Amino acid sequence: MQAVSTTAVRSAATQEAVWVCWLLLTGALLFLGFFLVLPLVSIFAEALRKGWALYWEALKEPDALSALQLTLTVTLISVPINLVFGVAAAWAIAKFDFKGKSLLITLIDLPFSVSPVVAGLIYVLIFGAQGWLGPWLQAHDIKIIFAVPGIVLATMFVTFPFIARELIPLMEAQGTEEEQAAMVLGASGWQTFWKITLPNIKWGLLYGVILCNARAMGEFGAVSVVSGHIRGMTNTTPLHVEILYNEYNFVASFACASILALLALVTLVAKTWVEWQTERQMAAERAAVYET
Amino acid sequence: MSIEIQSIAKQFGSFTALDKVNLKVETGELLALLGPSGCGKTTLLRIIAGLETPDGGQILFHGEDATDTHVRERQVGFVFQHYALFRHMTVFENVAFGLRVRPKHTRPNNTEIKRRVHELLNLVQLDWLADRYPAQLSGGQRQRIALARALAVEPKVLLLDEPFGALDTKVRKELRRWLKRLHEEVHVTSVFVTHDQEEALEVADRVVVMNKGRIEQVGTPEQVYDTPATPFVYQFLGDVNLFHSRVHGGFAQVGEHPVAGDGAVAYVRPHDIELLREPAPQTLVAKIDHVRAIGSIVRLELSLENGDPVEAELSRDAYAVQRYASGERVYIRPRSARVFAEDYAI
Repeated sequence: MQAVSTTAVRSAATQEAVWVCWLLLTGALLFLGFFLVLPLVSIFAEALRKGWALYWEALKEPDALSALQLTLTVTLISVPINLVFGVAAAWAIAKFDFKGKSLLITLIDLPFSVSPVVAGLIYVLIFGAQGWLGPWLQAHDIKIIFAVPGIVLATMFVTFPFIARELIPLMEAQGTEEEQAAMVLGASGWQTFWKITLPNIKWGLLYGVILCNARAMGEFGAVSVVSGHIRGMTNTTPLHVEILYNEYNFVASFACASILALLALVTLVAKTWVEWQTERQMAAERAAVYET
Repeated sequence: MSIEIQSIAKQFGSFTALDKVNLKVETGELLALLGPSGCGKTTLLRIIAGLETPDGGQILFHGEDATDTHVRERQVGFVFQHYALFRHMTVFENVAFGLRVRPKHTRPNNTEIKRRVHELLNLVQLDWLADRYPAQLSGGQRQRIALARALAVEPKVLLLDEPFGALDTKVRKELRRWLKRLHEEVHVTSVFVTHDQEEALEVADRVVVMNKGRIEQVGTPEQVYDTPATPFVYQFLGDVNLFHSRVHGGFAQVGEHPVAGDGAVAYVRPHDIELLREPAPQTLVAKIDHVRAIGSIVRLELSLENGDPVEAELSRDAYAVQRYASGERVYIRPRSARVFAEDYAI
């Protein structure tokens, strides 16, 4: 409450001139409008330009449906796997000291710094027909590149840092005292994780999952390299949008794009809700401290 | 349960936290580990708990080697300096945690857990807070809940790390007395770490004074205060005046302690400095700089002829009779003193 009241009361001494305020505000809003709102509106406008019927038709088309299905499947596989590995990595880094810790942190950041196209290429070089493991995979009739496993791998690589990066600072800030207390009280490592560590990080974790999910659904570059663009088989929605666009099928292209945009909007709402929840919880804790 | 610490050593990089420490904690006693920060007291406590592994030496619990026993199986209760309460659990669940995580065959049923938790909350006089969250409690309340939680598992040993360190003076005093009473009630072997000499002297049955990874002295509060074994203990437990025999020739000779040559230092507590208005043998001349009345005592700041400061304490009654004023010249001599060789490293 304290913080709110101090920011609400502003004297002329701490405020800029009116024209400065307006200038900055206008600049910011114009920028926001041109770079964020306008493109979003244009997607829906383009998609609906020839009416709802055509829009609907474009979405119902089997290739579009299969692309959407593949996107959701890939997301459903890669996000939970990244969830497990992200939590494990963050736990190890934040709660334990070991040799090579900083190297591990750097490795986790690698997908952020490497171009997604390079990420896709790595998998082609390893699993592709001319790659290291290519002959062996062919001999055993296992398809990874130009098939679903390759897409999942590429998506996982690109989205790996999201959850770990979100959790490491949070877990480091919380320290290890609660875990130590649980251990002294007789809890096993497993019990400590489920009953102490996980409840303490749940909001941060959910936030990471949402970001990871958004990226997994929208990933283009890495997936494009390993997918092979086989319609109805290895085409994800972002790839399908590109194909349709290149075929001058604008309505269908924007219709599919609008689905991705909708998913992004849903993600944003979820993200905001999680942030709001976390803030509320923290505010409650702070208020409680001041009360007593 | 008794705890035996046998030549425990611990090194953090090039820093020696513990240098082959030996100590025996008797069954049922309340022992204080006292020392300045960085003296190794918390490390020793954490090694007893099993939260830290020693580089060498052994820990015996009740005569049995427990050096390699996992923290979980040591059956110790540990109270952390910053309480480490589980923030997402209510007070009730915090205290119940140690019982709920037990394996199925030793876990009490829900009714039993409820009874035990309320019993403990009553013991720490906070039963009315059972449904609150840690963030809603004051520091003193959190500390008592942390204690109840540690006691819930019926530990054989209770270990407390700076239990009152984060509290304000008034709450601290209350909790000290309360801990003493609690220990008399529960009577579990307890070790607590503190850097506050008053706290150690008031609460503990025995005090272990530590410095630079070594134990300087072990004894009852009276022993360590009245007959300090080393200059460090003398200086750490209360204020002290130092008189170098070379400088204050002949001064250190008074009392039953003869001068041990040129390089001797006499340690005299402020309340053992006697003030005289008339010159007498074996006294030093001093000038009174300041007179401060603090509660029941009056503290006098004096300076010798060579400028060395000396502190003296008088009771209010004694001061009322003599009425020393600042600026006055007096003659001082110690009622009792302890002499240590000068080269003794502090």
